[in-house]
Formats: sequence, structure tokens, C-alpha cells
Amino acid sequence: MRPVAPVRWIPALLAALCVLSPRVAEAQARYYWKSLDGANVVPVIFEVLSGNANPADPAHTVVPGSTVSGTIGMAGYSRMFSLFDRGAMAAIIVPMGHISGESRLAGNTFFQSANGFGDPMIELVVNVVGPPAQKNLADVVRYEPGFSLDVLADLAFPIGQYSNSQPLNLGQNRWYGRLGLPVVWQLGPWVPGERTTVEALPALWWFAANTDYLSGKTLTTDLLFQLDGHVTRDLTSSLWVSLDILWYLGGTTAINGVAGDKLANFGIGATAGYQITENLMLTAGYMMLVSSGSPNSLQMDRFTVSLLYGWHSLVEGARRLEENSKK
Amino acid sequence: MRTFVGLVGLAAGLTAPAMSLAADAPRRPNIVIILGDDLGYSDMGAFGSEIKTPNLDALAANGTRFTNFYTHASCSPTRSMILSGVDTHVNGLGNMDEMMAPNQRGIPGYEGHLNTRVATLPQLLRDSGYHTYMVGKWHLGKSPDLIPAARGFERDFSLLDGAGSYWDMTNLSAASPKSIYTEDGKYLSALPSDFYATKTYTDKLIGFIDANHGDGKPFFAYVAHQAPHDPYHLPRDWRSRHVGEYDKGWDAVRQERLKRQIASGILPKDTDLSERMWFLSDPVVLAPVARALLGKKMELYAGMVENLDFHVGRLVDHLKQIGEYDNTVFIVFGDNGAEGTDLFAMISGSPGTLNYLFAAQNWSKTHPNAWGDPGSYVAYGPMWAQVSMTPFSQYKGWVAEGGIRNALIVSGPAVKRVKGDINHGVMHAADIMPTLLEIAGASYPKTQGGQALPPLIGKSWGPVLSGKVESPRTEADYLAWEIFGNHAVRQGDWKLRWEWKPFGKGEWELFNLKDDPAERKDLAAARPDKVKALLALWDDYVRANNVILPSRTIFETLEGQLPKRTPVDAGYPPLIYKKQFVPPQDMVVEPKP
Repeated sequence: MRPVAPVRWIPALLAALCVLSPRVAEAQARYYWKSLDGANVVPVIFEVLSGNANPADPAHTVVPGSTVSGTIGMAGYSRMFSLFDRGAMAAIIVPMGHISGESRLAGNTFFQSANGFGDPMIELVVNVVGPPAQKNLADVVRYEPGFSLDVLADLAFPIGQYSNSQPLNLGQNRWYGRLGLPVVWQLGPWVPGERTTVEALPALWWFAANTDYLSGKTLTTDLLFQLDGHVTRDLTSSLWVSLDILWYLGGTTAINGVAGDKLANFGIGATAGYQITENLMLTAGYMMLVSSGSPNSLQMDRFTVSLLYGWHSLVEGARRLEENSKK
Repeated sequence: MRTFVGLVGLAAGLTAPAMSLAADAPRRPNIVIILGDDLGYSDMGAFGSEIKTPNLDALAANGTRFTNFYTHASCSPTRSMILSGVDTHVNGLGNMDEMMAPNQRGIPGYEGHLNTRVATLPQLLRDSGYHTYMVGKWHLGKSPDLIPAARGFERDFSLLDGAGSYWDMTNLSAASPKSIYTEDGKYLSALPSDFYATKTYTDKLIGFIDANHGDGKPFFAYVAHQAPHDPYHLPRDWRSRHVGEYDKGWDAVRQERLKRQIASGILPKDTDLSERMWFLSDPVVLAPVARALLGKKMELYAGMVENLDFHVGRLVDHLKQIGEYDNTVFIVFGDNGAEGTDLFAMISGSPGTLNYLFAAQNWSKTHPNAWGDPGSYVAYGPMWAQVSMTPFSQYKGWVAEGGIRNALIVSGPAVKRVKGDINHGVMHAADIMPTLLEIAGASYPKTQGGQALPPLIGKSWGPVLSGKVESPRTEADYLAWEIFGNHAVRQGDWKLRWEWKPFGKGEWELFNLKDDPAERKDLAAARPDKVKALLALWDDYVRANNVILPSRTIFETLEGQLPKRTPVDAGYPPLIYKKQFVPPQDMVVEPKP
């Protein structure tokens, strides 16, 4: 006859905190779902990539005739907060790993490799259209995204591994970032096990010049438009899948003023996410670009596995009390 | 085919005289009973609610509100009295079918359904030339001889069970997994594709009315809505009309309702609220998320009531469109106190049982955002039931005022009082039978099938509705109730009550309802003369109606399940209310090294 014990709802609410998954170059499905103020997430992302461009470079500068593969990990941290009553998130992510490749030039094959840390990137996302910030658990209970529109700003710091003797580096030796408008559109009920969303992130990447590219050359890249799109659907309350698309347009790169082709590429992929525990989510996805086959055309495919660990001090404390009460 | 034609011919022959008689006679009013299932005393705007019920309020504004109207403490007993005018211990509902005690089984009056030894209101109205329609919850028997069509309803679309999904035929238990519906006397194998209980019942009734409209006969419609009985199933667009409104908690909402009740004249200005039940938290000390979750249940309930009101509005509008509204008597009330007992837990709360597995499969959509969907089961609990019964004590199943008193609206041509009037006469659900027979110009027969019919226990409201008197009862008349072993008797302003512990004392308690409608002060020790007099009436009631107190009830172990009963004093203990002490700013210093 007692009123419901709120603590019983805590685990279910905590699961909602684990949807944050910062990534640098491409937005994963369910990336921009909002959560409780003060929620924290540590993502650990592991990617295996291959193609004809440096996978650590969001400009995707094509090296004609090259074959590049990489094993890249990323670790980061993100935190939800409210800004003028709107949900917001700040994140930092640091890529690291190993990339290698070979390219053929004048009948010769050149091998390159690099390892170490890439350029750390910070991200700020502020919701501008949609429900207000979730400042307490009561707000979490009532939250449904409906149609949510955010403003996103990324900035990468050019302090990662870089060598001017080769084009393949984890760091890019230039400032870059992006501005985007993440959209989450809820279709149907917002009930775990039944959620369906259409999500999109149209964004513009900008790149400063790298004036020490291949021994003093100047590398410039025009604005690059990137669109990430997802249709996501819960299969159960802890398992979801997503159909992903990716579109690049623009981003013409020039070396000492000699311009290459602009990007105009379309990619498709799929992702699955599974809530392992109330704190831990696993996602796995595959994405490949549809290539024209031309040597100058961007080619890339990528397999990604990520683990996301989320927590909130209030929720953790409530859980400790609940566990203690069972003893 | 020959048999069918023969039956049609026979039916035509039987009805023809009645039809011609009706055509010649002055036009009698249509009658619509709108019954809300577990609708609380204060849940309509006209009775102090913040819930928006403009259509029901309009009926009140056009008619009379009755503040001292009694039902029984649970649904099928009340329904049995509405439709028979006979005491429950005689008409077959001496106990609910689902709760029949071992010592009651097999005894006449305790069949668990409306027995065939009573005449029914629709049967008598039909015989007097009325069309008789029913939509909604029946709960008075399922076998072919007991369904609405067999008890006098010419057309029906009925849920035979006491509760279930509003969206489909899912029932509550493994033993009885499928709700049973009838339409025009046939058992349905499936529901209409766009079924939602409150909407479909209204659609069906409008269809029934239209099918016979223009033939000169008045109609009687028994609109026994399932709403707002739990589970709170509700279309999505009705769920979000009170978001956050109930986070303030049940105490605050009760106080607001009482204030409006006093301001409108429903209750005297010095009325006290009943105490918050001792096992409920003071909402002030609950975390926002707890208040939000519990408040959301009340949000859903409010949506249920508003949706019910909307569909009542559809019916009223339709009657206006076809020119029947002005000639229609409306009677609106809830069938018992609001529901504070956790019915779902009672049925499905024990892991390892068949019912638990049934619930896991069919009723396990527990996420708050799924509340209202098929497969969800939400009820608002005792805290909000007390709100629905403001200012009274307790709720459904108990014979405190919160279990048996309800709001009543009567409007239409039979009501000659000033529009919007409020009446405080003592009324009873069993009065409806003699009242409507009088309005219809029909009479209650002495026998049925050669057997003597039991006497009607109610009193016609005719003199009250016409404004000649303020109550159908004299000071000598009394009312009595017994269900699940809880029992009470009221005469004049005095009420003697016996309830299982810990809701009651397990002994007789005496209250003066005029001074203390919230039943806060037990006067049994102070007024032994009154106890004695009322006990004599109780004994009279027991003898007259063969009341057999049950040997088993669902409340027999309640004392062991609930916290020990303690007084509820506001702000006690102070420990949990003390706010942070803030020292004078000029005395705040950093610690010394």
C-alpha cells in the first residue's frame, strides 16, 4: 500500500543515460539523445578501416592509387548539463591507434605507417528545439524527444602525431572543426522496446591550411558538407538497430594550389546496440562508401565496435541504498 | 426460415399494441443513466474537481446536483440495485461473484449474479413501451439467461466482466484470460477493429437510438461505462492534458477540491477533510521523481474522466441534433467509491503463479511512457482515491463515506427544481427503479412468473425532483450496507459502521455525518443510546434481507499487511521536515589553520 519506491525506477532511468556515444567523424545513431543533467559517459571505440584516404582525417583527402588500413581506438568523456534550460552536452574525444598504407607511384610501391595519438576534439551540443533540459529524474520520466533540433560545434586541436614526410598521420597539423544541426525525430511511442527515430546530422566541416604538408607544401581543403542519417528502431527494450547513411559533398583539397576532385560520396551501413547492463552499452556497426571505382574516388569501409559506460552520482547513490536495503 | 418468420410475426404481434398505445399517449421522456465505473465523488467539475468535465457539468447546470447520494461499496452490488431496486442480499449480489465466501455459497441471494427472482428495470420499461438499450459493463451474470438481452435490454453491446482492457478482449487472469462481450444477445468472437471501450459504447448507443428513432417510442439507455475503472487505458492524445499538474501531491489537490466544494455549496463551509490514511506518505517529503510518477497516474485518471466526459458530450450533442435532448432525463453517478485497492497486485502479484505469468505476457508494459497502451496496467492507488472521494474517508470496498457516497446529477424534463440547484436529501441507488418507473408511467408488479417479487427498497425521487420535498426519506427511514463483511447503517444524520481492522476498529463506530462527514470522530462511547438504536435497525435489516456475514474476505489479513495504524498529524515527525539552518552571513568564517 506504500507509494511506489522511486528507487525501483532508477535502473530503468539509468539505461537512458547510456545513449551518449561521442565520435569524431561520423555520428552514430542515437548519438544526440538527451539525458539527465550531470550524466557522464565514457566511450571506448574501436574501429577497423580500409580505403584510399587517411581514415583519421575528416577531410578524407584521397591519395590516388593508395591502399590504407587502420586500427583506431578512441576514448573520451562526455557530460550532460543544461544551458538556459536547454539540454546540452560537452565532450572530448581522443583518437589513437595505428594506421598504415601503401601507394604506388611511378611503378614503385611506398609503404607508410603511423601510430600514436590523433588530434583531440572537443564538442559542444545545445538543444534549441524540443523538450527542455532534464534537470531531475522527474524530467527524465517525462522526456520524449518529439522533434529535437540541436546546434553542434566541434573543434580539433592540432597536437596529435604528425610527420611532414608522409601523408598518413593520426594528427592533421591544422585546426579544423564543424558546425552541425543534429535532428532527432521520434516516430511513435517513446517506450523502451518500441522506440523508432529518424535522425540526421547535416554539418559543415571547415579546415585551416596545413602549411607543412609533405615537407613544406600547403594543404588546403574547402568546406565539406556531411550528412549522417539514421533510421533506428528498438527490437527489445535493450536491443536496437539502425540503418545508416552517409553523404559527403565538397571538401576539395588542394596541394600548393593544385586542386583535386571534390568529394561526392554516398555510404550505407547498419548498427546494432545492446544494453549489457544498466551502465554499459555495446554497439557494433559497419559502413561502406559506394564508390565509382575511379582511383580518384573516395573508397572506404569501416567496422566499429564501441563500449559506452554511463553513470550519474544520484543514480549510483540510489542504487547503493537499494542494494543495501536488500541485505 | 419458417421458424424465424414465425418468431418475427409473433414479436410483431406482441409489440403492436404497445406501439399504438405509445403513439396515442402523451410523449414520455427518454431516460439515460450514465454510470461511471469507480468515478469518485469529487471527480466532476460540478462537484469540485479540477478535471475538466464540461459536458457533465452542463447536465448539472441544467438539472440538480445531489450531495447525499449513496451507492454500494462495490460495483456489481450497486448495479444489481439500480436494475432491480432490491437489496443485494436478496437480488443475488449478497457478495460479489469474485469474492463469494464459503458460508454464502449456494444460498439464495448470494448467487453472485442478478438472480431471476427479481424483475429488472429494463424489462419493466420495455413492457411499458420503451426501447431499452444498454452499452458498457454488465457484471451481473454471463450465462445466456443472465445476459442483458435476457434481462430486458432490446439492444446491447456489453462487457460481461467486471474489468479488462479497453482496447481488446484481454482479461486479467490466467483462469479467465478473455473478456466476454455480447451484442444484441449474442456472444462476440471478436471486437470491432477500431474498438476503444468508451468510444465504441457511445457509437453503439447512438446507432441503437438512431435505428428506432421516429417510431414514437421513448427509449431507456443504460450507459454503464467501463471508464474510469483501472487499467487506465487511454488514447495517447488524452494522456498529456494534465502534465505535472498533480506533482503537488494528493494533500494539496484534496484541499483545493474541498475549497471549491465549499465555495459552490456542495459542502458546508466548516467541512473538514478526512485524515490522510496513515500508510500514505506526506507528498511534501517525496522526491520530485516520486511525485512525478505518482502524479502521472492521476494525470491518466484525469484523462480517463475527461475522455468519458467527451463521449458523454457526443451522446448529448447527438440527442440535441435529433431533437430528443429536451425530452431526455439524465441520471449521472459513479457506481461506488473510487478504487484505492491494488486490484492488479491482488490478481497477479505472486511470482510463480499462473496469473503472474499471464500478467508477464499480457500486462507487463510498465514503462511510464507506455501507461495507457494495451498491455499496461495503471491504477492510481489509495492516495489519489482519497482525492477522488474528497472530503470523505476511505474508498471502494469500504462502508466509510468514501466507499459508498457518490455524486449524483439528475437533469431533464422530470426535474422541476431551479436549474443548477444543489440538494442534500438522502438518496440511494435503489431509488432509481421506483423513480424511473414513476417517470415512465409504469408500475412494479407484485409477481413474476407466478412467484411473488421481493419489495423495492428504494423511494421514488419524484417529490424531490418536482421540488415538493428536499429528501425522499423521513428521519425514521434508514439505509444499510454490507459487503465483504464491512457493514453500516444510517438513519438521519447518524451512521453506525463496522469495518475490518485496520481501516475500521473491528467494532462498531458511530459518526454524526452532519457534523463530521469525514468520519473523524467516533462517538460510540459517548452516545451508547444512538449505538443501541442503530443496532436495532441493523438487526432489522439483517433479518429482512437474510444478511450473512462472510466467513472469508479479502480484508481479513489486511491488518497484518499494513503498517500499524497511527494518528496522522501534519508535520510529524518534525525530523523529516526541518529545513537547512542558514547562519547569519556575518558570522560565517573560514576554518582556522
